Amino acid sequence: MAELFDRLADRRAAANRWYADSTLAGVALGSLAVLVGATLLQVSFGAFPLTLGEAWGAVFDPEVLFSFQAWRAFLLGGDLPEWFTQQQHIVWNIRLPRILVGALVGANLAVSGAIFQIITRNELASPYILGVSDGAGLVVLVVLTAFSELLPFVPVLAALGGGVAFLLVYVIAWKNGTSPVRLVLAGVIVGTVFGSVQRALFFFIDDLSTVMSAQAWLSGSLLNTDWGEVRIALPFTVVALALAFVVTKELDVLALGEETADSLGMPVEKMRFAVAGIAVLSTAAAIAVAGLIGFVGLIVPHMVRNVVGGDSRRLLLGCLFLGPALLVGADVGARLALNPIQLPVGIITGLVGGPYFLYLMRKSENLGDV
Amino acid sequence: MRKNGRSREPDRLREPTANGADEPASEAALDADELVVRYPSADDPVIDGETLAVPEGEVTALIGPNGSGKSTLLKGLANRLEPDEGRVLLDGRRVDSFGSKELARRIGRLSQRNTAPETISVEELIERGRYPHRGFFESRTADDDEAVDDAVEMAGVGHLRDREVGTLSGGQAQLVWIAMALAQDTDVLLLDEPTTFLDPRHQLEVMRVVETLRDESDATVVVVLHDISQAARYADNVVALKAGSIRAAGPPEAVVTDDLLADVFDIDAEVIQTEHGPVVVPLDPTDGDHPSRTEGTDCS
Repeated sequence: MAELFDRLADRRAAANRWYADSTLAGVALGSLAVLVGATLLQVSFGAFPLTLGEAWGAVFDPEVLFSFQAWRAFLLGGDLPEWFTQQQHIVWNIRLPRILVGALVGANLAVSGAIFQIITRNELASPYILGVSDGAGLVVLVVLTAFSELLPFVPVLAALGGGVAFLLVYVIAWKNGTSPVRLVLAGVIVGTVFGSVQRALFFFIDDLSTVMSAQAWLSGSLLNTDWGEVRIALPFTVVALALAFVVTKELDVLALGEETADSLGMPVEKMRFAVAGIAVLSTAAAIAVAGLIGFVGLIVPHMVRNVVGGDSRRLLLGCLFLGPALLVGADVGARLALNPIQLPVGIITGLVGGPYFLYLMRKSENLGDV
Repeated sequence: MRKNGRSREPDRLREPTANGADEPASEAALDADELVVRYPSADDPVIDGETLAVPEGEVTALIGPNGSGKSTLLKGLANRLEPDEGRVLLDGRRVDSFGSKELARRIGRLSQRNTAPETISVEELIERGRYPHRGFFESRTADDDEAVDDAVEMAGVGHLRDREVGTLSGGQAQLVWIAMALAQDTDVLLLDEPTTFLDPRHQLEVMRVVETLRDESDATVVVVLHDISQAARYADNVVALKAGSIRAAGPPEAVVTDDLLADVFDIDAEVIQTEHGPVVVPLDPTDGDHPSRTEGTDCS
């Protein structure tokens, strides 16, 4: 009899694991479908219109897909092959890189958002909660107002500024160790001060177009991204995301709170700092190429957790798929909704994010706990 | 929790006069020597130079009023708070000489209040107790499966295995947390008020786990309890704390007495010997001019 119950329990556990895996597979497949659909829309619409069939043919063009020369040009920055037709040039050198950058940025923001939500044990945390966005934003404004000769280095400088602000948040929060609440409060402190300075700097810009570009950067935009941005973001993205998946077990334990993590033998402070560092690297890679895109890092982990549960590995995997889908999808709207005017994609993600939280607030009673 | 099949006498009824003296003095699993523990943010130590030996393979209950330093002592024993002075020995070796994961394989500690992510399953939460047994790149092994199964069985939470943690009642959640600590598979288990806030049935279920640990394994258990009768019933040794100092330590029959309750808890209470061990009936809080106040009582 006991054996029968054991077998039943095993069956049920297996069924549950299957269910958990299948919801994750559902998220992944759904995201891929959205991603492919958005890609085809992005590729086909524009000043040089293509039919969906032509777009499909161009994206999966074996001539380019299997061309070593083309990929070397894309990824290492060499010259484009001379045999590129105008259509191939428009699809592969103008429209696709933007999608690729969007996918990288979406993955980075979603995964780092999930990590920050675990570290701060707060479902409403975003990748920008520990000062990264404020540091990056301040650097951008300083460059635009005072050091315009450094303009080409804005991506890297902004990412560095974000990293420095994160360290500052840690220094402020540190008092015999940190805690999630102290870190969040320190983030608010740094954000408030940096934000004020940043807004003050706007008054020192005389040129309207500089103000516009600063504003586009602060809202987050994929406008004018090309293979250069892919080359900046890709290595850091690969490193940061690989590291994130290495520490999922640590994330699981951190999510139980510091007391429990400590009794399970984890050096909590060191681990929290290391994990936050990984998330900051990931966020910085996104900021460097797309500016401050809001809400993606907040809602994607939230949505994924609602579907696949709180297990870190499944959560991060889900984010890895849904983040790109949401961002690339939103960018379709940003580029085509008010054609020929292109909106920063961050405005669309905010327009999607707000109602999603309204829906959550109406639906659930205890919003906020991880 | 290495099960060795050895079962001690389940009957816990000893004559009060025996005072447990018929049991051979067991070796200490945890040995605290002149321990001084303070919180980093405070000036005065909470525990100021206390010495305590926790006998191996037995259940030791810590009792005392709120703020008497029970949890602090527990944290000191587990090296969660580094002592200012004194030392704690685990099997003769200083606890601060262990690596953090190494120590977590020997001492488990369940803190008073625990919050888990609501959207993980009970099984996933219990499995996290295996963390100290895993290397950085290691994933779940057969040992882990076995330890999780044993823990689930011992805590009696098999029927909850696939539930989400957020859907559990307070009592169920506590049993699941205990299962997580059991999955950690340690020689010493420190439980901080595991029965506080639970309904009677779940209190009994929690204490049944403690009883099982005592009777069926070599594990040493230190448990902080607010219910003095519970301490008297389930513990082999009771340690009474007040204002950070140990006022009495020994078998329940010797420690749980009218005089000690008056001294440590400032209450006028009657201890009734029943077939289920001593039962404490609190009668009145004592104060300065109360007639029943015993001599030498520290009423601050």
